[in-house]
Amino acid sequence: MANIAAKRIKREFKEVMKSEEVAGGDIKLELVNDCWTELQGEISGPPDTPYEGGTFLLEIKVPETYPFNPPKIRFMTKIWHPNVSSATGAICLDILKDQWAAALTLRTVLLSIQALLSAAEPNDPQDAVVAKQYKENHELFEMTAKHWTNIYAGGPTCICEFNQKVQRIQDMGIDEHQARVALSTYDWELERATEQLFC
Amino acid sequence: MADYYHELGWRELGDGEQPNHLLHMARFLIDYGLYEVTFAEQWPRLPPAASIEAVENLKEIIIEDDSENNCPICLKKFCINEKAKEMPCQHLFHEKCIITWLYKTNSCPFCRYELPTDDKVYETFKIEKKRAAKRRENIETLHNSMFS
Repeated sequence: MANIAAKRIKREFKEVMKSEEVAGGDIKLELVNDCWTELQGEISGPPDTPYEGGTFLLEIKVPETYPFNPPKIRFMTKIWHPNVSSATGAICLDILKDQWAAALTLRTVLLSIQALLSAAEPNDPQDAVVAKQYKENHELFEMTAKHWTNIYAGGPTCICEFNQKVQRIQDMGIDEHQARVALSTYDWELERATEQLFC
Repeated sequence: MADYYHELGWRELGDGEQPNHLLHMARFLIDYGLYEVTFAEQWPRLPPAASIEAVENLKEIIIEDDSENNCPICLKKFCINEKAKEMPCQHLFHEKCIITWLYKTNSCPFCRYELPTDDKVYETFKIEKKRAAKRRENIETLHNSMFS
């Protein structure tokens, strides 16, 4: 790895560790390997959002050309959000693409991703299905996002009705996550979700 | 009359020059709201490198005081008597750091202040963006003067 990238990550690592957000438990950063190319980030779901109370893990890959090119970041924790792919965790955020600037740091990027959880951009979606639900059936979107936060990120709100529906499809021999995706996609209508799974 | 055209950003066609009909059509569609665009979407990639001239003309500064400032790119602290390059927005960087960045894209890594580029298409795009903003402002002024 190019020297400048590793050196900068080391400096940033110190900066993040010293920052208020780490002290407040808002963000976390851990090393995955010794050569500073892979890190694991952690953000807490912002208050007054369906993600509140959840902890979301992020995979961070630092390119050799960092900080002249952005780090590659994706959600490892599954999340229901218009700007994050529910399948791959890929994030649609301008500063991770064409709006990257070399003065941005892992700390500011993690905070931006956290801010994205509070302020989705449904008109610039990464996951079109989620974005459609966000715009057309917002209440159901919030419930679905809360449910995913509960199941995958340790969030506090258990939505029994959704759990039961997932169980009903699981009883038909379908994988739990696959059942949840189908139900979430079809606005929790059992019949349509089942139809899609067995077609 | 010349001033009137000048104000609108128009100029006379050169000898044998044809009007750019495609550009006019695009302007027409945008101005009348038939074609909703935000200009950010029209230039979705990183803007091009800063012009060679702009990079060469960056001011060189010798760091005099032992402040807490560091180079926003490599995050290393500046030492006393160390050379640094200053962008027009007054942000300081190590020469190697900022030149590597400006070779990639034209804006200040700290505040996104834009240096000119050598890319004609991008420069045209910037002028169009300004023109669209001016046009929106004019319409707003006209609207307010009629309805307020």
